[in-house]
Amino acid sequence: MAERKSSKIADLNSRPIFRGPISIFASVRLTIFLLVLCATTILIGAWCPQEATVGQEKVIEQFGEEMAVNLHNWGVTDIFHTPFFLILIALLSMNMVVGSIEKVFPKLRLLKLPLQFFSPDQIAKMPFNRSFAVGASPAETLEKLQIKLQRRGFKTVVHGDQLAAEFGKLGRYAPTVTHIGLLSLLLGVSITSWTGFSGFKPIRLGDNLSFQDSEHSKQWVGKLPTWKVHVDATRREDYESGEAKQWFSDLAVVDAKGKVLEKKQIFVNEPLSYDGVDVYQSSWGLDQLIVSFNGRERALDLRPMGKLYAAFLPLDPETILILSLRNQTMPMRLFAKRPEWESPKLIGEIPQGKSIKLGSVEIKYVRPIPVTGLQYKSDPGLPITYVAFAFIIVGVLLAAIPFRHVWVSVSKDGSEAGSTVSIGGKSKKSKVGFERLITKIIEAIQTELPAPVVATTVDPQLEYEHPDQTSSLPRLSSDSLTLAQSSPTSSRSNDSNV
Amino acid sequence: MSDFQLALTNTAGISSVMSFWVFVASNGVKKWHDKMLKAASIVMAVGFVALTLAIIARGVEAQRFPLANLYESLLWFAWATMGGYLALASAYGIRQLGWLAALLAATMFLYGSWLPANQQTITPLVPALVSYWRQIHVPPLIVSYAMFFLSGLSGLIELYHARRNVSLGLAIGTIVLAFTAIGLGTFTSVDTKWLQLLFVGGSLCGTIGAWYSLKYTKGEPNLKQVELYDDVSYRAIAIGFPLLTIGVITGGLWANHAWGTYWSWDPKESMALVTWLSYAAYIHLRIHHEASAEKLSLVSVAGLLLTLLTYLGFNSLGFGGLHSYGKFK
Repeated sequence: MAERKSSKIADLNSRPIFRGPISIFASVRLTIFLLVLCATTILIGAWCPQEATVGQEKVIEQFGEEMAVNLHNWGVTDIFHTPFFLILIALLSMNMVVGSIEKVFPKLRLLKLPLQFFSPDQIAKMPFNRSFAVGASPAETLEKLQIKLQRRGFKTVVHGDQLAAEFGKLGRYAPTVTHIGLLSLLLGVSITSWTGFSGFKPIRLGDNLSFQDSEHSKQWVGKLPTWKVHVDATRREDYESGEAKQWFSDLAVVDAKGKVLEKKQIFVNEPLSYDGVDVYQSSWGLDQLIVSFNGRERALDLRPMGKLYAAFLPLDPETILILSLRNQTMPMRLFAKRPEWESPKLIGEIPQGKSIKLGSVEIKYVRPIPVTGLQYKSDPGLPITYVAFAFIIVGVLLAAIPFRHVWVSVSKDGSEAGSTVSIGGKSKKSKVGFERLITKIIEAIQTELPAPVVATTVDPQLEYEHPDQTSSLPRLSSDSLTLAQSSPTSSRSNDSNV
Repeated sequence: MSDFQLALTNTAGISSVMSFWVFVASNGVKKWHDKMLKAASIVMAVGFVALTLAIIARGVEAQRFPLANLYESLLWFAWATMGGYLALASAYGIRQLGWLAALLAATMFLYGSWLPANQQTITPLVPALVSYWRQIHVPPLIVSYAMFFLSGLSGLIELYHARRNVSLGLAIGTIVLAFTAIGLGTFTSVDTKWLQLLFVGGSLCGTIGAWYSLKYTKGEPNLKQVELYDDVSYRAIAIGFPLLTIGVITGGLWANHAWGTYWSWDPKESMALVTWLSYAAYIHLRIHHEASAEKLSLVSVAGLLLTLLTYLGFNSLGFGGLHSYGKFK
């Protein structure tokens, strides 16, 4: 029976699904090579600032102009869009698809097969095996062993004087679940790439965000929305220390005719979602300063200066008027700077709506114009991507469960009520832990069941040796009336597919 | 930082140093060897409890989840290293990993104590960090980093028992060089280009050298210990890998929630992916029996170096990106 099942298993393992050149992609060595190559490429991409995210200036700042040009020409500054990387990802995807279908998914069929039973000879060839004698009948011994294994979470099946047990079968689903997750991730990302869009725009208070300049792939088949997002209000909330605590924007979704379809206040980590598009609060700043000079209003561009924003107004070739703001609510501070002064001199502070007289000029602080940085995206593949994430997480968690197999064969040893027990098994993970567990079970069985009274000749070289030499198993003596006979120490071998 | 919290943190730091020395001394006193190993583990357990309380006290004082800057992440890392070691020691009955784990925890305490005061004091959160995602995303990552370190350190012990002395020497030298680069990058103004070269160049040369030196053995290997530490190393990865996966994925979910994109090739997230891919390669190597236990131990040491680069290297060696909260220079 065991042979028939073994041939069935061998058949399941050897039957190739893919033939020809494509079968190369089922290679695990290729997987490892591609994973390492992919990791190295991403490492280079992480080391070199990427133009697509931080701009070319950052590359020049970090490496100097000459080196930056070289890195650009080699494709390192935009490595994630180079044909090399894209081909690498394509190869890895191909490897994952073929490997999953050829090697990972077929293993599911193996899990459906009933547990096999093995003879003492077969057990003796297992990665971990022991043999010992007890002074109890095979049925009693087997029952004791079954109870002990079940108490430790093993699922057991008994067939005559043989027993098969397994633990952590769920863990065997790990590769399948993880690979389903990875393949789903590929699908989700592909759908987003073909139909999704994204972008970022700084929008001043009172202006509209439209989606016409959004970014999308070349093979895009999506559709851009016609509605816009109007910025009704935007503000920054500070800690008492003056550090930014949160940015808020009151947004209104308006259609082409100006009808308001939805309103929401967004802040960092709380986006607006409408019609499959998400709008995020990404950054915030003060863009312009409205000041009036003797009643004539002027908009001055503000520049971020650390925690402050400042506008610079040259009065003459040597004198600069600096108008500085910390936030929307605090007064505007007015400074003057001349080359002979070490630092700018404070002229005065002007609260919003108030003015100050500077010679014959009356300067009034009218209002600041804030700008809110809005990130937006449409990601139709997201639900699939999220499902993929869930599969991957479940898959890797399952992978942590050690899968263990135990086989026992008990035979009468010739005496009135004595048995010889052959016990063996394997664990793909936590091998040492598994061996300790089985050793403990053997110790318990030997303690609870009567010792055998059998005349056996024992080879002293076959003395039991525990892997960590801490076991309290009864050691053999050269006496002819002895306790159990042990088997040779376990040998390391590749796991079989049973 | 309150005196109570400081006292608890100092207790944990001193415990890790004491534990290290007791572990080391145990190897020189055969008569008291086992008792000293037990004592060292107890001292470490005391430190672990003190650090647990210190982290809780910090959270109560800050009125937020206490994992928002480099200093706090170092406390968590030391906590996970101590806890991870205690769990592995209890499961496997191993003790020799203890002195390396204690040394690692003590190094992190020392590193944290040398950070500027503004890192150690409780400061308000920047807007991007004001989210429940912070406590979902960051702890699994820090714990996974600690587990990967423990795996790499087990790999070193495995090389020792396999009598691969040349490889072991090169691996230790490489790790020391990498830590030196991190230290110089954090506390001095040495040009980061040289430090990047020191870290990456040193790691590459050291790991490749150690790989090719595996053929040189001195003495009979202790196969039982090799097998034991091989198992410990894999177990640590088997715990760390799911945590890293959860950390990377929840980071993507947070990024999507906050910025509208779950992946932006930010240096730190790229580096986390590199680490993930490396450990995925390790798992494939192991499951399909493509490498010997000694080679796998070197892969786990390489993983330790990548983890170090991901965790501390990117801030101290001058890489930019969105994950610069730990930067202080």
